[in-house]
Amino acid sequence: MTLHADNRMRRTLSALGAAQAYIGLVLVLAVGIATKGEMFLSETNLTNAIGAFASRGILAVGVTLVILTGGIDLSVGSLLGIASMTAAMMLSKHSLEPWQIVPICMAVGAFFGFLNGAGTAWLRIQSFVMTLAMLSVVRGLDRQVSDNVSVGTQIAGPDGQLTPQAEAFQLFGTPGHNLFGRIYYPVLAFIVVCVVFHLILTKTRFGRHVYAVGGNPTAARLSGVNVTAVTIAVFTLSGMLAGFAGPIDAAYSASADPQAGQSFELDAIAAAVIGGASLAGGKGTIAGTFVGALILTLLDNVLGLNAVSDNWQLVIKGLIVVVAVVLQRPDLFTFFRGGSRS
Amino acid sequence: MKKTIAIALCALLAAACASKAPTSTATADGGAGKKKFVVGYSQSNNAEPYRAQLNLQLQHFLKKYPDIELLPIADAKQSSATQVSQVQNFITQKVDALIVSPTEPAPLTAAVQQACDAKIPVIILDRTVNTDCYTAFIGGDNVLIGRKAGEEAVKLLPDGGNIVELRGILSNQPQIDRDKGFREAIAANPKIKIIADREAKWVKEQATPIMQQWLAQHPKIDLVYGHNDPMALGAYLAAKAAGKAEQIKFIGIDGLAIPDGGIRAVQLGQLSATFIYPTGAQEAADTVNKILHGQPVDKQQVLGTTQVTKDNAAGLYKQFDLSGQN
Repeated sequence: MTLHADNRMRRTLSALGAAQAYIGLVLVLAVGIATKGEMFLSETNLTNAIGAFASRGILAVGVTLVILTGGIDLSVGSLLGIASMTAAMMLSKHSLEPWQIVPICMAVGAFFGFLNGAGTAWLRIQSFVMTLAMLSVVRGLDRQVSDNVSVGTQIAGPDGQLTPQAEAFQLFGTPGHNLFGRIYYPVLAFIVVCVVFHLILTKTRFGRHVYAVGGNPTAARLSGVNVTAVTIAVFTLSGMLAGFAGPIDAAYSASADPQAGQSFELDAIAAAVIGGASLAGGKGTIAGTFVGALILTLLDNVLGLNAVSDNWQLVIKGLIVVVAVVLQRPDLFTFFRGGSRS
Repeated sequence: MKKTIAIALCALLAAACASKAPTSTATADGGAGKKKFVVGYSQSNNAEPYRAQLNLQLQHFLKKYPDIELLPIADAKQSSATQVSQVQNFITQKVDALIVSPTEPAPLTAAVQQACDAKIPVIILDRTVNTDCYTAFIGGDNVLIGRKAGEEAVKLLPDGGNIVELRGILSNQPQIDRDKGFREAIAANPKIKIIADREAKWVKEQATPIMQQWLAQHPKIDLVYGHNDPMALGAYLAAKAAGKAEQIKFIGIDGLAIPDGGIRAVQLGQLSATFIYPTGAQEAADTVNKILHGQPVDKQQVLGTTQVTKDNAAGLYKQFDLSGQN
């Protein structure tokens, strides 16, 4: 193959890499429509599917921020867990109103996120290690405060009816409870989070700094970016989003389980990677992550509707992550070409 | 500054060592030759609500015996390797008796054998090991419970019908047994069919989307069999949202006496029935006491189950509630 053809191939793959998330989405949609048609496209089904994934999608947005700076956040699943437990306890033990619960949960998440950032930026602990430790610490705290017992959110008063607070809390995502009778709250929350963080990343100086830190920290520092502050900020934001996802998850299962959110961090990272985020930092978008999350969501749904066993679902999801990463690396292709020529 | 930290660390270390060292010596209050027994307990996973409840109950029932001290419960976090080393730690500490809820039978067999060789009496709780060298086995019968659930399903569906089954983690023995007993029992009526079954890993938030998909796929679902109450309740949430909860019956297992557990769900009419999977905590406490005082015990103690219905739910909740609020 000539050098020219090589280059062309490389460019094609590169373009494919940029559009991979959208191509993937189209493929999943096509499979869904081809196999289950109307059932798949029905509003209920799509709302259900996205609603079930919304809390993981919100985590994925936070994880994307961290990945953009070249770090990783493994603690978001545990943070979601402790936030959902906080929400359930605030509701059951203190009868707080939902609008009070959400900021508290976000503050709890942000606090642990800040610790992640401080450990990474100030103590120079690799984010992988720091957040791995936090995953364990926070899960332990979650189990400790809950005494290992799940806490229900459907609290009934003495009259056997749900308390007004519990009734209102259901709006956050208990299946069948919609805002204005139509909009399923978790879906709305996920979309709003995506839009807000897309704007932050594309329209603000902070957004540009996030990309700069991930692209080349030294260059960023030399050009006056406060790398430490940016690092701490992205971890704090990631924690805050996990805190926001907590009450949604608690409402979804009508209880906070001490194991809630376990392994959610993996789905969140997968969504970011499928959406084109590079673990080396500096590359990725919220739009990509949104589409990545959508792909995983609809894939879950399509495979489920077609009664594909869970074991094969795991295999397929894993393979898709690998394909996504390979498509982002057109240089891999030339590497193999070079290898075969010599 | 450094010195202070070093001293603080040393003190902490010393305190940690001191608190961990079990002693089989006379009690401090000078009870004339009264022996204090030390018992170690390795739990397969503290995070499951059922096991958390078991831990609470064991601590509660052992309080009846003031000469028995339960060391902090060791949580193996579902890892057999962790559990083996925990059991070996207890052997090294020379505990007077050992209680083990094995995560899996095979990996724990050798560790239990070691305890046995060290002449430490062992009580196996809930799940088995592949050796006879233990003092007592106490546990529920999951095949029996599955069968009872199946018999209840047959009763609820006299004219036959479609069942969907939410399974626990597929490699877990209780899941296998709860499925086996159930299928045996529903074979009594050939018009009853299991039209779909999937792994929901024992948790509510996995069960809800699976049930949503089933509701989309199958026009007629008559009964949901969840291998535990949280999964059955997750399915109930999905059906409720789709406006179909009234036409579907829900059966769960475990019957925990906690605010969002199965007994309450039966009282609220969310579940048609659940079956108490006994923790065996009371039996374990009594058995430990007997062993330590040289009294004979039954080697195999298989516990029965109680069906929770609307009629007996309130009473059962009171009986098993340990929160002190009732």
